[in-house]
Amino acid sequence: MRIARPRAARTFVAALAIGLVASGCASERDDDNSGGDSEVFVFGAAGDPAAIDPSLGSDGETFRVTRQAFETLIDHEPGGTELVGGLAHDWSSNEEGTEWTFELEEGVTFHDGEELTAEVVCQNFDRWYNWAGTYQNTTLSYYWQAVFGGFAENESEDVPEPNYVGCEAPDELTATITVAEPSANYPGGFSLQAFSIHSPKAIEAYAEDDPSGEGENITFPGYSQEAGTVAGTGPFQVSEWNKGNGEVTLERFDDYWGETDAGVEELVFRTIPEESARRQALQAGDIHGYDLVAPADVSTLEEEGFQVPIRGVFNILYMGIIQERQPELEDVQVRQALAHALDRQNIVDTQLPEGGVAATQFIPDTVAGYSEDVQTYEYDPELAQELLAEAGAENLTLEFCYPTEVTRPYMPAPADIYELLRADLEAVGITVEPKPLTWNPDYQETTRSGGCDVYLLGWTGDFNDAYNFLGTWFDGYTKEWGFQNDEIFDLLSEVRTEPDVATREAMYEEANEAIMEFLPGVPISSSPPSIAFSPDVNLPTVSPLTQENFAEVSFK
Amino acid sequence: MSTKTDKIDRLAALTAQRETTTGGSLWVEAFRRLRSSKMALIGVAIMALFVVIALIGPWIAPHNPTSQLWRDEVFTNRGEFVGPRGENWLGLDHLGRDQLSRMLVGARQTLLVGVISTVLGFVVGALIGGVSGAALAFGGRAGQRLDTVLMRFIDMMLAMPSLLLAVSIAAVMGQSLTTVMIAVGVVQVPIFARLLRGSMLSQANADYVLAARALGVRRRRVVMGHVLPNSLGPVIVQSTLALATAIIEAAALSYLGLGNPDAAQPEWGVMLAQAERFFDEAPFMAICPALGIIVTALGFTLLGESMREALDPKLRS
Repeated sequence: MRIARPRAARTFVAALAIGLVASGCASERDDDNSGGDSEVFVFGAAGDPAAIDPSLGSDGETFRVTRQAFETLIDHEPGGTELVGGLAHDWSSNEEGTEWTFELEEGVTFHDGEELTAEVVCQNFDRWYNWAGTYQNTTLSYYWQAVFGGFAENESEDVPEPNYVGCEAPDELTATITVAEPSANYPGGFSLQAFSIHSPKAIEAYAEDDPSGEGENITFPGYSQEAGTVAGTGPFQVSEWNKGNGEVTLERFDDYWGETDAGVEELVFRTIPEESARRQALQAGDIHGYDLVAPADVSTLEEEGFQVPIRGVFNILYMGIIQERQPELEDVQVRQALAHALDRQNIVDTQLPEGGVAATQFIPDTVAGYSEDVQTYEYDPELAQELLAEAGAENLTLEFCYPTEVTRPYMPAPADIYELLRADLEAVGITVEPKPLTWNPDYQETTRSGGCDVYLLGWTGDFNDAYNFLGTWFDGYTKEWGFQNDEIFDLLSEVRTEPDVATREAMYEEANEAIMEFLPGVPISSSPPSIAFSPDVNLPTVSPLTQENFAEVSFK
Repeated sequence: MSTKTDKIDRLAALTAQRETTTGGSLWVEAFRRLRSSKMALIGVAIMALFVVIALIGPWIAPHNPTSQLWRDEVFTNRGEFVGPRGENWLGLDHLGRDQLSRMLVGARQTLLVGVISTVLGFVVGALIGGVSGAALAFGGRAGQRLDTVLMRFIDMMLAMPSLLLAVSIAAVMGQSLTTVMIAVGVVQVPIFARLLRGSMLSQANADYVLAARALGVRRRRVVMGHVLPNSLGPVIVQSTLALATAIIEAAALSYLGLGNPDAAQPEWGVMLAQAERFFDEAPFMAICPALGIIVTALGFTLLGESMREALDPKLRS
């Protein structure tokens, strides 16, 4: 005890000192913010980015940050889903859709002073293609594997065959990328943040820093976790990532090649996980905007003078059914009964933000390939009961998974939506066993590995091609659906390799009709996620793809 | 050690002393004092009301608490809620369920968790405390050691903030109603153990025990037949107080999302957590369960505190 006391005293003094220093720092920072420095724009994000290298990302929180510092060969028009030029002002393909040629912009400078050339583009693609070791884990290379398949040397059987063949630079500003098979993923895939073009110097530096780990426990490479190494061409450059505060700071890049420079000097993304805390931070003036506004807060915020622009609709919320879990679920009549039992319009009316619609198929009506002739399933509990009786499944028990503590762009309040759906299912005599799971990692893992009878999930499109929706789910057997239907699988693999856009659209319509007849799950709704800004900022153009360009933001 | 343990030991010692001069036992005296205390009467009234509601709640509830009868009238996306009205005295919740019915039925679950966890704490605590007290008083040197080991363990549990301990247990065991009961019960264990041990130690030196020992009654019989029954009094008093904390802690755990995974089942803590999101638009939704928890806990605390005061004249000044 005697020895312990001075130690305890010392610890106490140390803690006190740390506390003082910490509070000192905090107040200093507060002074900076409130000191009238209106050139700092702070945006409240719902989660931390996974990395500041977009090539390693697969989620919206990561891409929101990296999108400000990195650019892709092709981009989307502001506020829309049409493809427009990015780093390449023009692009074309050969007739088979296997050779994609990009005409690059002139005079594009990277944050570290390097110049953009066709060689650099090829260097980028070759980097991804030659990824080895831990990089081949989908946690790090999800989008590469989804769009370009595997790698130069696949190290595991789970990795698909590569579709990427090579990249050539016939002249300074022309890059040609060759793929083995045409795909509905091109050219849309070239607009994905994951395929942003990095500076050649940065790519060399990346090579010295390898990720490690297996399965879900991946350690991201060091360069992607702190500012300094990554360099893109965007209007902002990453200057600091303070993980303790959950803040990524970006500075205006003065040599930006585009026509207009960023409207603010400094852009900060601050992570505030809790929905109501984000709202309070905006109301208190601590932040200037935040994403995923709770629908109930929209009217309150508007009344208080905040700006709440409405985005276009580009997502789908659905109730997934895992057929192989129960023989009853393999019976199409039972699945039809589930669809007839759900009052989807009620969810749209009472839960979803303004502009939401009940879904009739697995793509929103803004995507080409939407079919008007799909089989629809009206809300009709009596019919649902009849169907269940006919199928001999009156005593159906369903384990229903839903995520807790999370807001998704397509699903503002999962627990409430679950309660409503559950009441509908129980009304037709189905016993529902609730299975609430935390979103990360339990929920995503459980649903992907087929651990629930039914579950709630959704998807926000990456680019405007129905394959980005339908292909994600139905281009082959997956545990998250648990069914075999060769008609649907074949239709989608056919459409994937069809180079002609018009033919593809017709095929999508056919696929949508086949899917809705087979009814692998019940599409519920499409709804626009709300975003809010303080009254004193000039808004960026809001995007249905949730791809806002914060360079457009400025203070009034 | 801490004021907490001091308080517990003191209560044990005091209740064990019999007042030989007046002829009336401490218990009679205490009951007389209790009856004249307004605090105690209010406590009893609230407690009685709560228990009655919990018992008959499901029968007097005007509507089914889990069915979303008016779900077409509540628009959470536009911030339009339905407040108190003729049909629904306490308004509707965010999914169009009758708030009054949910309050009435929710009381039962709250009481159930409170009672079961207190019983759990009582049984396990009394077991440890009894063994420890008996070992120290009659077990010789080996008994002393056993007592030291048990009591240091109990002191360790006491040293941890009770809610923190409960949250840790609930987090490890996963989300369910049983978890909440166990978590809240475990928190009560050290209090009961310490109390019974202290009480038994005071009894161990009483004349009748000495007499029994001198007559050659076996140690086991002395403990089971004489010391233990006479030591249980203060532990039973503690149960009332424990019930109050159990109810608050059960509500707290449910509020934190560690309670019944079926969120449709009404429970005050869960209701409060669900209403919090809509506090700006529909404060009445949060006020009902919050008031319910506060008033009930107040009732139990009033009763428990006044019982303690009645038993401990020195605390009354």
